[in-house]
Amino acid sequence: MSIEHKIREHLHNEAETITCPPAISKRIEQSYSQYVNPKRSEQTMKKRLIASLVATAILIPTAAFAAPALIDMFTRTPMTADQVKVDKLGRATLEKLYNALPETRSFEIIDASYLGDPNDPTRTTIQQSIVLQEKGGTEKRITLHANGITGEVEDLTQENWEPKQKPLHTLTEQEIKAKVDYIIDKMYSNIKDFEVTLEQMDNQHEKTWMLNYTKKGSETPIYQVFVYGNAISLSHIGGSKSTPPSITVEGLFSLNGKPDYTADSFLNDEKLFALLQISPTVLKQELAKGRSVVEIAASKNVTKQQVIDVIARTQAENQYKADSNGEKASESLIKQFMKAVEPKVLAVIEHKTETEW
Amino acid sequence: MDNENMYQLLLQMKAGDQQAFHTVYDATYQDVYRTVCFLVDHQQDREDVMNEIYMQMWTSLANYDPNRPFHFWLNGLVIRQVQRFRVKGWRRFRIFERARGFSREESHWDQPTVLMDGTNQLISQSIRKLTDKQRTVIILRFFQDYTLEEIATLLDIPLGTVKSRYHAGLQALRKSLGDLPPERMDMIHEY
Repeated sequence: MSIEHKIREHLHNEAETITCPPAISKRIEQSYSQYVNPKRSEQTMKKRLIASLVATAILIPTAAFAAPALIDMFTRTPMTADQVKVDKLGRATLEKLYNALPETRSFEIIDASYLGDPNDPTRTTIQQSIVLQEKGGTEKRITLHANGITGEVEDLTQENWEPKQKPLHTLTEQEIKAKVDYIIDKMYSNIKDFEVTLEQMDNQHEKTWMLNYTKKGSETPIYQVFVYGNAISLSHIGGSKSTPPSITVEGLFSLNGKPDYTADSFLNDEKLFALLQISPTVLKQELAKGRSVVEIAASKNVTKQQVIDVIARTQAENQYKADSNGEKASESLIKQFMKAVEPKVLAVIEHKTETEW
Repeated sequence: MDNENMYQLLLQMKAGDQQAFHTVYDATYQDVYRTVCFLVDHQQDREDVMNEIYMQMWTSLANYDPNRPFHFWLNGLVIRQVQRFRVKGWRRFRIFERARGFSREESHWDQPTVLMDGTNQLISQSIRKLTDKQRTVIILRFFQDYTLEEIATLLDIPLGTVKSRYHAGLQALRKSLGDLPPERMDMIHEY
């Protein structure tokens, strides 16, 4: 008998004598339950997420130029790191990032999701989000939101890239601008054709700068960047055909006697004015008296839910338009968006002037 | 179980279907465990590797190509986890501790080997004495019955490398089995 035969026969015989101990099966079963169960408890996670997202959304005062509110991660379908790597858009996005910032090659994908209508047979991704983090607990992180239709990276957030002892907000304006220039230059295009304005925002909680990158001779910015804490948050707002929702009255609320623009993009809504049978200027006067939108609506026999629905729908439609270059959204997708934006709407319509957000 | 069926089950399992998980697990665990036993020596390590393999099964399902045999994919997972474990193991044990780890290995023989006759025990020991790389190739070739080409794909190394490991492995086995006591040799020659 040849040695090959002998080995084969021996291995098969020996295999027969080996049985997997029940302890192992038990452990794997537990791992599986653990994998299945977080899915069930997702609900509570979402609630926590919503709370923190409302907080961050409101901490950054969005001025007249602000892009339509981003629909947040939690209405999205999660993806695994491996799915991102095999996905066409995901791969292209990562490739772009790796080429622009080669150090990110060693980062691991810690979160990813996509936004799309699960009922859409073509399965078009509207937006895909990827969060990468450096290994080794440095919390150096980069978040990318890629547009599924154009393939562009339309939103990018870089967190904790500066050492903790010397976070971004302690740097001089020149240094901050240089950091942002570097990202745009690497990720998008040559910075030379752009004019930049840098201004510090009114935000007592956190030093915040807004940088607008405008093509020479053009009025609307192409890139809008917020720098706060130790993070740079960049939106590619130009280039897409969407226009920010038309703002008819600015500074609907005020805080410490200064106009507060936070809610402008939510409340400047033609349909809301129609629903409340009120003109924007009157609304502003009413709000100035210290009433909330909900209270104004109640005095006109309009329920809170009606107000939420109207505003949420406008926000959802704007968001979709911004993401898809004017394609029509399906009703189920709009509903999904509306649900996502609802907590923010709620915060806005219950807000009273001269109070903290 | 055919591939299409298996794929459906895996999808159900990933979606959280306990029943599907049990079907997949029951259909695979003995074979997977045996392969792991041949490749990994310590009982605790086998347990860890087994757990990792099944975790991978539901997290990396996206990579599964339903056109390829399910067992091939599964063994790919097994090999990758065993290799990952070895890399980890190497980092964990510094040379000194590693030496101690080796000396302890003797007590970790499978209980069944004790019941085996001398020849079989000798084959078992000889296989364990191969380098990890040779051993993997030998087990895949003789236990899983893969062709050398398939092994090259599984391990993601060139065919030539597989061949050289295979022949070196066989050579080493021949050598240690040649050291059989004479009366045992007679028995073998009788076949």
